[in-house]
Amino acid sequence: MTLLKVKNVKKTYTTRFGGMQVQALKGVDMEVNEGEYVAIMGESGSGKSTLLNILAALDKPTQGEVLLNGKSLTDISEKEISAFRRKHLGFVFQDFNLLDNFTLKDNIFLPLVLSGEHYEEMERKLFPLARELGIGGILEKYPYEVSGGQKQRCAVARAVITSPSLVLADEPTGALDSKSADELLTLLERVNQTGRTIIMVTHSAKAASFAKRVLFIKDGRVYHQVYKGSKTNEEMYQNISNILTVMATGGVGHEK
Amino acid sequence: MRSRFFVSMAAGNIKKNAKMYVPYLLACTFTTAMFYIITSLSWNKDLKKMPVGADEIQILLSLGTGIVAFFALVFLFYINSFLMKRRKKEFGLFNILGMEKRHIGRIIAWESILTAASSMVVGLFFGVLLDKLMFLILLNIFQAEDVALGFHVSWKAAAQTAILFGVLYLLLYVDARRQIHLAKPIELLRSQNQGEKEPKARWAAAFLGVACLLGGYYISVTSTNPLAAFGLFFLAVILVIVGTYLFFLAGSVAWLKLLKKKKSYYYKANHFISVSGMIYRMKQNAVGLANICILSTMVLVMLSSTLSLHFGIKEALNEKYPREMTVACDEKNMEQNKQFQVIQEILNKEKVEKKNYIGYSYLGFSAVRDKDEFQVKRDEWKMPDLRKVSNLFFITLDDYNKNNDTKETLEKDEIFIYGNQKPYREKSLHIFEDTFQIKEELNAFQGDALMASNVASSYFIVVEDQEILADLYEKQKAAYGKEASEIKNYMAFDMTGEQEEKDRVYETLKIKLEETGVGNVDFKDAAYDSFLSLYSGFLFIGIFLSILFVMAAILIIYYKQITEGYEDKERYEIMQKVGLGEREVKRAINSQILTVFFLPLIMAAVHIVFAFPIIKRLLATLYLTDTKLYMTCTVGCFAVFALIYVLIYKITARTYYSIVKR
Repeated sequence: MTLLKVKNVKKTYTTRFGGMQVQALKGVDMEVNEGEYVAIMGESGSGKSTLLNILAALDKPTQGEVLLNGKSLTDISEKEISAFRRKHLGFVFQDFNLLDNFTLKDNIFLPLVLSGEHYEEMERKLFPLARELGIGGILEKYPYEVSGGQKQRCAVARAVITSPSLVLADEPTGALDSKSADELLTLLERVNQTGRTIIMVTHSAKAASFAKRVLFIKDGRVYHQVYKGSKTNEEMYQNISNILTVMATGGVGHEK
Repeated sequence: MRSRFFVSMAAGNIKKNAKMYVPYLLACTFTTAMFYIITSLSWNKDLKKMPVGADEIQILLSLGTGIVAFFALVFLFYINSFLMKRRKKEFGLFNILGMEKRHIGRIIAWESILTAASSMVVGLFFGVLLDKLMFLILLNIFQAEDVALGFHVSWKAAAQTAILFGVLYLLLYVDARRQIHLAKPIELLRSQNQGEKEPKARWAAAFLGVACLLGGYYISVTSTNPLAAFGLFFLAVILVIVGTYLFFLAGSVAWLKLLKKKKSYYYKANHFISVSGMIYRMKQNAVGLANICILSTMVLVMLSSTLSLHFGIKEALNEKYPREMTVACDEKNMEQNKQFQVIQEILNKEKVEKKNYIGYSYLGFSAVRDKDEFQVKRDEWKMPDLRKVSNLFFITLDDYNKNNDTKETLEKDEIFIYGNQKPYREKSLHIFEDTFQIKEELNAFQGDALMASNVASSYFIVVEDQEILADLYEKQKAAYGKEASEIKNYMAFDMTGEQEEKDRVYETLKIKLEETGVGNVDFKDAAYDSFLSLYSGFLFIGIFLSILFVMAAILIIYYKQITEGYEDKERYEIMQKVGLGEREVKRAINSQILTVFFLPLIMAAVHIVFAFPIIKRLLATLYLTDTKLYMTCTVGCFAVFALIYVLIYKITARTYYSIVKR
């Protein structure tokens, strides 16, 4: 079943002075089914962050449409947008974005509190999740007291505690050492296996190799895609690396 | 070339940090101007030419100079610390880009020089302009118009100002260098986003703070003796100041922690964000809040008391001098009849008649009351006894009946008694070896205000005849030796006639009785001038310092809002990313700022309410007993101050939004 549908999305930025126009997205089409784990790859400036921002309803496309569960994101009013994002989307950021003035537990509770849930209800939701993510022992600590990997695991907990339709991860391993990164990727894989849909933006081939499908974006367009199928992570990694090399050396007639 | 580079770099820095730097420059300029003005006024030659009270006001002004100088030191350091904290990242970047610490030092030096030069030039310019205005205001308060006005620049004051602020900027510079020197570049870069640990709730400190506050309040509320109140006042002030700091430092955190523990309260969208935000920054905030609270309290107390003194001057005068003329001579220098004759002769000569005459002889001395006994041995007094010190005034039944037009009678061992502060409430009275029975407790006494102001608790005692009075006189003479009192003949009256005639009566009486050392002569009109100069001096200093303190409070609030804005920006961005709506952001910010902002004002109001009793008593020592007037002044001052406060809140809150808003 199709969860997310992106139809011919274009995004044009106009510089503040004069009419210099930059086309970040030149018409992106993609679909994501429920339960999928999709990685979006591309170099800096390829437009992948713009795409993620549009998927996250943080930004609006100049043209085209994004449908989540058949509902168009562009139709949601400014007033409802925050509540919508809280309910339907979960976020994991590169720099964790945990608040220093909350304990990790309170950080995870934040979206629930904003939705006005009762404390008992929140506790009930947190308990199994904390065990799944292996953060049960550090819940009362503050973000500055724990390691990056632990922080990111808490951020994942915050993203999924609301049971969102879609989890968006923006370079989730970008600020982690390789060991923590591997742990987190395994964790995200498990999160996906419990039925949650994940879209991850990354430029690490290693991170992408954990996904079920990898989309490559170049110069504002979907350039290529690879399904993992029955490949192992190592095979997938090799596959991705080859495509990246081709992209970087700039063959193939997609350009011009 | 090189120094040009540093200068332009320094100027660029100041321009770039305008939001932080402009208010600082304004504060420096303003403080400079204020210091120049008060220094110049304290040396003003024209002020010395004022008919009366020039000395008093100039003593007050030079006291004010000291206060302003001290204030400038504390205040500029405080504001500068905000600046330094924000700018460390910038310096760290310079450092990493290859600038050595001594180069950064040179930039800071140039910045200091630019700040010092501009604020001093502009400050002195406005100082000279406003000096004139302040002088006119001062004269106006004094109701003196006949002083020649000369527009002048006091070079001495300017030099004094330059030296003080020069040293101040040098100290600020040295402090900045020290901070840069001690820090590692990476620390400089990160100093702003170091995760501040959540403060622990220090219950002991919180309780101590509350105890200090309650102690201060208790002293104020229970103070009865204005003389003792004077010393106690400072104790109360210190207790309240310490209490306020502790309360804000520890008490607020403890209180917020309690809120946080209440899960049903804490996990609500509004409270969740605001309570955690407040706990997080309470430590850095507490000092600022306490400062604002204390400054507000000082402004309110100063303004309301000096204003009510100013407005209540007539009442105060009547309190001290119920009659126009008061003449009191020692019996041993001049007998009662002789004194009466002398006065009458002078009045006759000027063809002035006396009205509302009262006259009696009295013996007055102080003693320590212990239930129904009065002790007179001074060396046996202990310090706490100061509160029990009472003034005793003895007069004869004869004088009493004459003045009150009554025909009361007394036995030899009987007395009438009247207490000016509270009733005596005992059956008998022991003094020396004598015991008197109280025949009746009077509830009014005509001579009440005449013999003593309401400063100390006084008892007016009517004894049966002159013999007893003489006996008491001998006994207190034996007890007090050199410090013993004399029996005085007291005469007071109003006069008919023209002002000049009255003035002449006063002059003649003074020559006849006062300058020969026979006694004292007080003339209400003459006293008015010295009252006026004293009270006006208070008022001027009160207003002057209030302006300064209000400015300080405004700036502290402004800097708090701005630095908090920068700190909160990131937090609100994150919260918006995980689904906090714009409306909720505003609501959360409002609930947080409102609490933090109005906490000091509410606290100041509480301070004022509890300070009321003791200040009322202190004002009584200055002969102001009109409680209603003081209350009106206090309420009025508070209303105006609160209005200004709300205005500042609006302005700074807008700045805050504009920073936090994405």
